[in-house]
Amino acid sequence: MVGPMYDFLQNPLGAVHLSFEKAMEAPPPLTSAADRPAAFNGKDWGAVDLFNKFLFEEDGLAKVPILEPSSIHLLKPNTLVRFRGMVQDMFGNELYVGTFKDGSTWRTNKFADVASFPMPSTCETQLWERRLVHCIPVPGQNSWTLLESNTNQNYRTIRDDGTTQHGDKRQRDGDFDNMDLNVSNHARESPSYNKKQKEDEYPCQSSHLSEDTMSQVSEPSSVVDDKTSFSCLVKVYDMPESNLKLNDVFEFIGIYTFDPQLAVHKDANDDPMYDLMEDVLDHLPPSKVPRLHCLICRKLGAQDFIPKFPGVESLPSMVRGIRESLLGHLTQVLGNDGLAAQCVLLHLLSKLRARSDWLTVGNLSLNLTSFTRESASIFGDQLIKTIQSLLPFSQALPLTVEYLNTGTLQPRKNNQTGRLVSGALQLAQGTHLTMDETYLQAGELNSNGVENVRLLKHLMDWQKVEYDFEYYKLEMAADIQMLILSEGKSNILPADLVLPFRPTTVTCNVTASAEQLKAWRWYLATLRSLPYSNGPEILETVQDEMVVAMKEDQTVGSTDLNRWLTMAQLVSASFGENSLSLERWQLVKELERLRKERLK
Amino acid sequence: MASKNLDFAADKLLARDFLTNFADSFGEPKYLKILQDVANHKVRVVQIEIDDLVAYQDLDEEFLVRVTENTRRYINIFAEAVDELMPDPTEVFSLDEDHDILMTQRAEDGADNADNSDPLQNMPPDIKRFYEVYIKAFSKATSFTIRQVKASNIGQLVKTSGIVTRCSDVKPLMQVAVYTCEDCGFEIYQEVTARVFMPLFECPSTRCKVNKSKGNLILQLRASKFLKFQEAKIQELAEHVPKGHIPRTLSVHLRGELTRKVAPGDIVEFSGIFLPIPYTGFRAMRAGLVADTYLEAMSVTHFKKKYEEYELVGDEQEQIDRLAEDGDIYNKLSKSLAPEIFGHEDVKKALLLLLVGAPHRKLSDGMKIRGDLHICLMGDPGVAKSQLLKHIINVAPRGVYTTGRGSSGVGLTAAVQKDPVTNEFVLEGGALVLADMGICAIDEFDKMEESDRTAIHEVMEQQTVSIAKAGITTSLNARTAVLAAANPAWGRYDLRRTPAENINLPPALLSRFDLLWLILDRADMDGDLEMARHILHVHQNLESPSLGFTPLEPSVLRAYISAARRVTPSVPRDLEEYIATAYSSIRQEEAKSSAPHSYTTVRTLLSILRISVALARLRFSATVAQSDVDEALRLMQMSKFSLYSDDRQKSGLDAISDIYSILRDEAARTNSMDVTYAHALNWISRKGYSEAQLKECLEEYAALNVWQIHPNTFDIYFIDA
Repeated sequence: MVGPMYDFLQNPLGAVHLSFEKAMEAPPPLTSAADRPAAFNGKDWGAVDLFNKFLFEEDGLAKVPILEPSSIHLLKPNTLVRFRGMVQDMFGNELYVGTFKDGSTWRTNKFADVASFPMPSTCETQLWERRLVHCIPVPGQNSWTLLESNTNQNYRTIRDDGTTQHGDKRQRDGDFDNMDLNVSNHARESPSYNKKQKEDEYPCQSSHLSEDTMSQVSEPSSVVDDKTSFSCLVKVYDMPESNLKLNDVFEFIGIYTFDPQLAVHKDANDDPMYDLMEDVLDHLPPSKVPRLHCLICRKLGAQDFIPKFPGVESLPSMVRGIRESLLGHLTQVLGNDGLAAQCVLLHLLSKLRARSDWLTVGNLSLNLTSFTRESASIFGDQLIKTIQSLLPFSQALPLTVEYLNTGTLQPRKNNQTGRLVSGALQLAQGTHLTMDETYLQAGELNSNGVENVRLLKHLMDWQKVEYDFEYYKLEMAADIQMLILSEGKSNILPADLVLPFRPTTVTCNVTASAEQLKAWRWYLATLRSLPYSNGPEILETVQDEMVVAMKEDQTVGSTDLNRWLTMAQLVSASFGENSLSLERWQLVKELERLRKERLK
Repeated sequence: MASKNLDFAADKLLARDFLTNFADSFGEPKYLKILQDVANHKVRVVQIEIDDLVAYQDLDEEFLVRVTENTRRYINIFAEAVDELMPDPTEVFSLDEDHDILMTQRAEDGADNADNSDPLQNMPPDIKRFYEVYIKAFSKATSFTIRQVKASNIGQLVKTSGIVTRCSDVKPLMQVAVYTCEDCGFEIYQEVTARVFMPLFECPSTRCKVNKSKGNLILQLRASKFLKFQEAKIQELAEHVPKGHIPRTLSVHLRGELTRKVAPGDIVEFSGIFLPIPYTGFRAMRAGLVADTYLEAMSVTHFKKKYEEYELVGDEQEQIDRLAEDGDIYNKLSKSLAPEIFGHEDVKKALLLLLVGAPHRKLSDGMKIRGDLHICLMGDPGVAKSQLLKHIINVAPRGVYTTGRGSSGVGLTAAVQKDPVTNEFVLEGGALVLADMGICAIDEFDKMEESDRTAIHEVMEQQTVSIAKAGITTSLNARTAVLAAANPAWGRYDLRRTPAENINLPPALLSRFDLLWLILDRADMDGDLEMARHILHVHQNLESPSLGFTPLEPSVLRAYISAARRVTPSVPRDLEEYIATAYSSIRQEEAKSSAPHSYTTVRTLLSILRISVALARLRFSATVAQSDVDEALRLMQMSKFSLYSDDRQKSGLDAISDIYSILRDEAARTNSMDVTYAHALNWISRKGYSEAQLKECLEEYAALNVWQIHPNTFDIYFIDA
């Protein structure tokens, strides 16, 4: 075969069907012909391989448009798209007619919402399974991570619209391919064909359509409380369950279907028996929430959102240079408070590395005290802005009594709708959370407020968020860097590292060049995940020093030891080093000494 | 296809044979008896247990497979077989029910129209049946978690467990619709198999067809057969949810006699048939190719039962036997409680005994003596008290965790509340009532509401909650073991003050606890080094150091404890004397001391007995041994020491010399020069010293030539001057 017979981008289903038929025709290895469709249950017959080849070997990935709120109206249904999002909710498995016998040939419905060939009313069918996950854009994703893909996207749309010469050609190619398929495969599916079929079958439907979509829009949708309220229902095929977890950030590449044809009709008109058991999907009508039939997906870490940094990786002198410049920048932002800058740097580099039964390793929450409302509005805001420009995901919560009393921090399962109602603490791994306590006034917390505070404290202590499933609570592991700005030492949220903030100058509008920002982002993302291990000698030294410190000062406890070791790791990492040296250990002790002095 | 050549008629014969010939363990024809009861309108359910099918001697293995994999079809086959076998009623009952009257009439009609071959006029067998057939899954079959029920299980009999989150009202579901024709007057039957059906409008009877009269059909609601129908939703149990996943849900359809068996919040196990549900109407269009699924319930079993009802599953009995043979079961079980919490061995032992408890006793004069142990943990904040409490609740089959403040308005005991809908006063039980026959863990015990504090006195000794309010005077059972955790009065335990001052609870309440434990966050060199090592290990290897043993699973613990709770040990006569002496010696010691810490009362004596009995239960022993009493005394002493350990230092004696004086006194008391090692160990452990300390003492004083130690048995012989 010379080149692909179908356009992967415009008609991915064509590729799916063709490969399925080929697989069905192929000489059976062991099973008889009748069992063959069953053999493909939960397995790939080579379609995914085709796409893998196209995307990663033939550089097709860059050509795949990105599904975003801004691009959604530009995308055509049944085309290949990619979508980056966080798994917000997971529904159960969905059984669908995976394959059916049309006359003597087996057809597949995999990767599709509706049958691409008219299904005979009675035919041999097989039920296959797929998983449904509800994805939303990563909460707190900073705009600079989007910018990269956006420019890419603009380029794509222009090309898709056929304004450039190259795109024009491409478009025609696509049409040609489509036509080719139509001829060779007897009425290959195309959107118009589908539509016609639908209308034939349900002539009454279109009249209801507008009305229904209207009512859907006007209804206050309580479940989608994301600001953009953009979400995507991803249908995942043939993947081990453990690969996809709640709050994971994924890139899904698959077939986009967004079919307002399948408008929702209210249950009441339809079947009163169902009043108790609302279908989860009723709240995610296909007319509002696009569907994505996932062909290929991969898990993304924070570093995947950062463009590759050109340069020799982890050259010690270069790492040191970036460290100095970033530290300088942070010092400037923090009004010339060098110690605070050092602590913030360590804090930004921190990442949950492990958790044992009673302690968490690697996370370092920071509490900058001695803020007033005024100074927080200057330095705090500047710091938040800086963090936003450095880390891919960050959020800021102004803690007020009112917010605590009324806000929903805890994700909660609504058994009425079957949905997981997202709370402010449903965040992707590696999200940075700034809490400004300077807004807090004296006031009374109600039960919701107490619960919220307890939740925040639990997150701080254990890096776990309790999700409420009505009859029991489940703890979900989190990895969230928490920074607290407060007047005195925060008693609500006891952080690992408490430091009174002492600015000396006010420097407004500290700016950094794009090149610098790029370097810093790379620095933070790379050094965060640096491996770390130590030899027995240094451990012995550290252990002895810790025991001595505990003897000298009765108040030194396990939390202090944990903090020192975490700081030691982070200081080493900030220099790009994989293990602790005595020099760095001295530096940690020096930092602690300076910090203690300030606390007095 | 294999399913095509199935011979259902032959299978019906097999089903018939089974029903007639199956004999239970007493040799009685189990199902024929059930059928007779059904015929006499005593029961309405014929439950066919797969267990019986397996046990049936003439079993056809393939038949069994067919039944479990195509259960819905076989329910019908069994129902037909039951129809054929149905005996005549042996008891006379009046024909006053609508159903019976209708049936009699129909039977007469049927005789008149015997020549009528219209299929729609043939009565469907369903309408005649006044019983329901269920097939109960094999009790030894593995239970699926909800997420394990897959597409491949469609049509099969599966077992799955979950927590009921929602329940619909019970509604009538039409099973057979009966119409009468306005023209020909015939009854027309329509079987309804789905949840929706298309009513008939035109009479399909031959007469109407021939006459082309298009007779108008009228639906006869009274003649139609309805079935009770309820829909429920179950959610995966917390322990079945893999890390980082969301619990799955499953719809369950309950019919007939199975309705009203579950309520939201129940933890249940269903056996049922996993079936796809075809969408109808607009729903079908929207769903496209998708099929919804549900579980057609066949049987319901409630979980988290009381210990007494706990059924052992699988190889649990075997595991328990193995554990019981192991001599060290006491240590092993107690270590497995909250294994991640380091140390606190004696506290864990006490908690284990709390789980086991002693049997309740009711004397002939009506006086009740409680068997439940009450324990109070006191201590500085952050010493894992709450974790211990939560873990115990996790292990207990029936446990309620609450805080002294109580989350609901009902509080800990009970309250009379006005129902917002009916405006009637209703009695609502609090945590202690809910934990009846179980364990109630109360965190922040010291911050209890004043009203609860007065009521809890009664709960802890009489084990009832009495209420006299708003015209309701009643007494609720609260036979629960109380596990309390309290913080010291000033946040941290103040060593300069007396324990009574530190514990902000009235002595009357404190005396009701069998054991009081103080857990302090004290610093010492060994502990510091241990902690530094642990933290370094975690940082270096990113995991906790291994525990050095594999803790037992909570389920095994639960099974063992429930098995132990069935034993009712008695105290042998000769031991009574021993206990009495021990009790009186404690009383005497107290009288001698100038500032007694506690008042040993009859309650203490009862506590000693309870703890000893619990220890005997752990060994599955029918009698209490002396070692049990000694261990009970030791635990009580240790709990006292945890409160008053400073006094020991103040008295000027170090542990070694104290042990020596104990042994010396003991030898003097018995007037002999020999003290056996076991005896010595008993005495010193009762005072709260460890075996290691005893050995140290023995060596030290042997070196001083005070006594001689037998090299093998370590028996002591005093060298008297």
